[in-house]
Amino acid sequence: MINILLAGVGGQGMVLTTKILAEVGMYSGLEVKTNDVIGLSQRGGRVNGSVRMGACVHSPNIQAGTGDYLLAFEPLEALRYAHLLKDGATIIMNTHQIPPVPVMSEKETYPNDIIKRLKATYEVIACDAIKEATLLGSAKLANTILLGILASKLSFNQEIWVKALTENVPSKTVAMNMKAFLSHTHT
Amino acid sequence: MHKAMLNGNEAVARGFIEAGGRVATSYPGSPTVEIIQTLNEDFEGGYSEFSVNEKVALEVAIGAAITGARSMVAMKHVGVNVAMDPLMTFTQTKINGGFLLVSGDDPGMSSSQNEQDNRLLGKFAHMAIFDPADAQEAKDMTQLALEVSETYDLPVMLRMTSRVCHSRTPVTLGEAKQHPIGGFSKSLADYAMIPPHTFANQHHLKARIEGLGQAAKDLACNHYEDSGKYHTLIITSGLMYHNLKELELDLSIYKLGMVYPLPLDALKTLSQSYEQVVVIEEMMPFIENELKIAGIPCVGKAYFSHTGELHTENIRQGLQALGLISKPQVKGRDPYETVNRLSMFCAGCPHRPVFDILKKSKIPVIGDIGCYSLAVLEPLEVVKSIISMGASIGMMKGMSKAMTLSGQREPLVAVIGDGTFYHSGMTGLLNLLHQLDKTFNMTLIILNNGTTAMTGGQQTASTGYYSESSDMKVDMPQLIASMGFDPVQVVDQFNYKKAKGIIDQALQHEGLDIIMTTRPCALNFKIVNPHFVVNPEVCIGCRTCVKTNCPPLLMKHYEGIEDLKSSIAPDMCVGCSICSQVCPVRAIQSSKVKEKSL
Repeated sequence: MINILLAGVGGQGMVLTTKILAEVGMYSGLEVKTNDVIGLSQRGGRVNGSVRMGACVHSPNIQAGTGDYLLAFEPLEALRYAHLLKDGATIIMNTHQIPPVPVMSEKETYPNDIIKRLKATYEVIACDAIKEATLLGSAKLANTILLGILASKLSFNQEIWVKALTENVPSKTVAMNMKAFLSHTHT
Repeated sequence: MHKAMLNGNEAVARGFIEAGGRVATSYPGSPTVEIIQTLNEDFEGGYSEFSVNEKVALEVAIGAAITGARSMVAMKHVGVNVAMDPLMTFTQTKINGGFLLVSGDDPGMSSSQNEQDNRLLGKFAHMAIFDPADAQEAKDMTQLALEVSETYDLPVMLRMTSRVCHSRTPVTLGEAKQHPIGGFSKSLADYAMIPPHTFANQHHLKARIEGLGQAAKDLACNHYEDSGKYHTLIITSGLMYHNLKELELDLSIYKLGMVYPLPLDALKTLSQSYEQVVVIEEMMPFIENELKIAGIPCVGKAYFSHTGELHTENIRQGLQALGLISKPQVKGRDPYETVNRLSMFCAGCPHRPVFDILKKSKIPVIGDIGCYSLAVLEPLEVVKSIISMGASIGMMKGMSKAMTLSGQREPLVAVIGDGTFYHSGMTGLLNLLHQLDKTFNMTLIILNNGTTAMTGGQQTASTGYYSESSDMKVDMPQLIASMGFDPVQVVDQFNYKKAKGIIDQALQHEGLDIIMTTRPCALNFKIVNPHFVVNPEVCIGCRTCVKTNCPPLLMKHYEGIEDLKSSIAPDMCVGCSICSQVCPVRAIQSSKVKEKSL
C-alpha cells in the first residue's frame, strides 16, 4: 500500500496532480482511490488530497500516522499536514511561499524554520519549483517537477508516468512537461 | 473491459448516459457541480442544462420524465429544499421515463451553510434512496436507480456525499443503452394532481414503497458478509462501509446500497442470530431509526457522532467504546502549530473594492450565498448574516419593519450576486414594493459579475454580457425598473473613487437605493493587465492597500529602508489597479507606466 498526501493552496492545480498520480497507479494494475477537499477552499484557502494505491484499497482517506509521502505545493501547507505521515516518511516540497491572510495583515509571521522542523522527523526534499519551472518556460510546470521527484522515489515504470502525464496535460505542453518531469533525475 | 479514472460526479454522468438517460438538469452547487458539467461537455443524443434554480431544474426534469425520457436532476443538499414544492407532488404521480434526483449531501460542511441529511427528505417524498460508497457504485447505482424507478413506479434519490462526489477510482465503462422516449400520457389521473385524482395516489405511494421493501433483500447492491461469529452485526452504507473495512475486523456486515426502503424482514431475521446490531452512518440516525421503528433493537448514534464525517479513526473510537476493538490505534503525531489559511477574494476580484468601501462605512452588511460570503472572514468581517440563497433582500425588509416598530432605525445594506438574484432574490425584491417605507434608508447592492462563481464559473442570466457563448443576456436594470423601482444606479467598481461616492451617498440616503456593479468575475473573465509596482521611496507604510486584502500585497523590508513598505508579487498581480487607486500618496503604479517613465 502506498499512501500519498497532497497539500497546497486553492488554485495550485492539486486536482489534476491527484488525477495523474491516480492514473499511474491504475495503469500499473493497482487498486486506487483518491480524495480532494475543495469547495469553499478553492479561493486561496488550504486544500488537501490523498492518493492510495495497492492490491486492495477500501477508503480513499489516509489515517493519521500512515502517510508514506507528502507532495506539498507550499511550505506552510507541508507543515499543516505533515503530522499525518509516518515517522521517517518523505516530504517533497515546493519552497515557494504564499502568505496567508494572518501574515498579510501582520497578525502572525510566516514561520522561517519549516524545513528544519520537518527534517527532525521526516526526509525533506525541497526545491523552488516555481523558479525552476519558470526557467523551463512556464510556472505551470511546477507540479510536474514535483511529480518527477516523487517518481524517482517510487518504483513505477517510467513509460506509465509518461502516459499519464501525456494524457492529462495540454497537448502543446507535453514536451515541456517531460523536460520538467525529468529535470531532477540527473541531479 | 475499459476502465477510466472517474470521480463520483463523473461516474453519475457516465451511468446516466449508459442507462439511456436523455434529459439532465441542475443548479450548480458543491459537491455535485461536475455531474452536469461533464454532460454539458459531451452528451450525444441527450440534453443537459444548468437551470436558473433548483426548483426550475426539477420542473424541467419532471417535464422530460413525464414525456417518457429517462431524466435526472442534480443539486446540493440545500437545493432540494428549493425544489421541495414540485417534488412533493410529482412524487405521487405515475413514472413514465425513469426519474433520478441526485442530492449532494455535505457531512462536515466542507462547502455548505448547514449539514442537513437528505435521506429524511427522500423518505418524506416517498422515494427510494440509494447511497453509493465510491465512483464505481455511483455509476452502477445511477443505472440501477433508473431501472427501479420504472419498475416500482417511483422517483428515486441518489444520495451522494462530498467525499463520494470528489473521490476518484477506476470505473469500468459499459456500452450506452438506448431508451426510447415514449411520449406524454394524456390521462387526467396520471399528472393532473388535484382531488379526486390525488386520493388514489396516496394508497399508491404506500403500496409501491412496501413492494420495493419486499424486494430489497434481493437487490445486488444490498449484501451480507457473514464472519461466522454471531456476536455483532454491523449495518452500514456508503463510504462508511469502506472506512470500516480499513479496520480489518472479524465482524459480520450488512452493507446497504439502498437505504430506503430497508429489507426489514431480512434484517429482522438476521438480527435475531446476533447478540447486538450496530449501525454506522453519518449525520442523522436514519437507518437506526428505521430499524427501531420496525422493532429491531440496535445502537448507533450513542457511539458515533451526529455531525461531521465519520473517518476510520472515528469508527474505531465508537467500536472501541463498544468493546469490539482492543488493538491499539496507529497514533499520528500532534499537528504542528502553524498559521491558518482561510479563503480570500482572488487577485482582481470585482468584489474587493465594494467590500473595502462597505468596511470603511462601518455599516453591517446583510449577506447572501456566493463568493461574497467570504467577506464574513477576516480581515474584512463586514458581512454579518448569511442564511440561504436569495434571503438577503427579504431579510432586509423584515429588519426594517422590526426596527421601525421598535423605533430604532439604522441604515441597512444588503448584497447579492447576479446568480443568486435570478435564483431567488428577484421575488424578495418584488416583495419590497409592498408597503415600502420610502423614508427608510435601505441599500441593495447587486454584484453583477456575470458568473455563478463560487461553484467554478457556470453561467447566469447575465453571462451574455461578457461571453458570446451564452444565450442569456438579461438587462438587469431594465428588469428592475419594469417592476416599478427607481432607476438602478450602475457602477463600475474599478473606478474606486466614483464607486465610493455613489455607494456612500446611497448609504446616507433616506429611502431605497439599488446599485448594480458591472465588473465580471476575475476567475472566469481574466484581467490581463501589466502588474502593478510599489515605489518604496514614496510608500508611507499606511497599509491602506494591504487592507484591501489582495493576494499579491504584502508589507516587506526593502534594502536600505528601515520601515516596512508595501510590495506586490508580480506573478500574482493581474493589474486591476484597486491598490493604486486607494493609495493616498500615489506610490503604486502599473509596471507598464513605470517602464515608460524609465
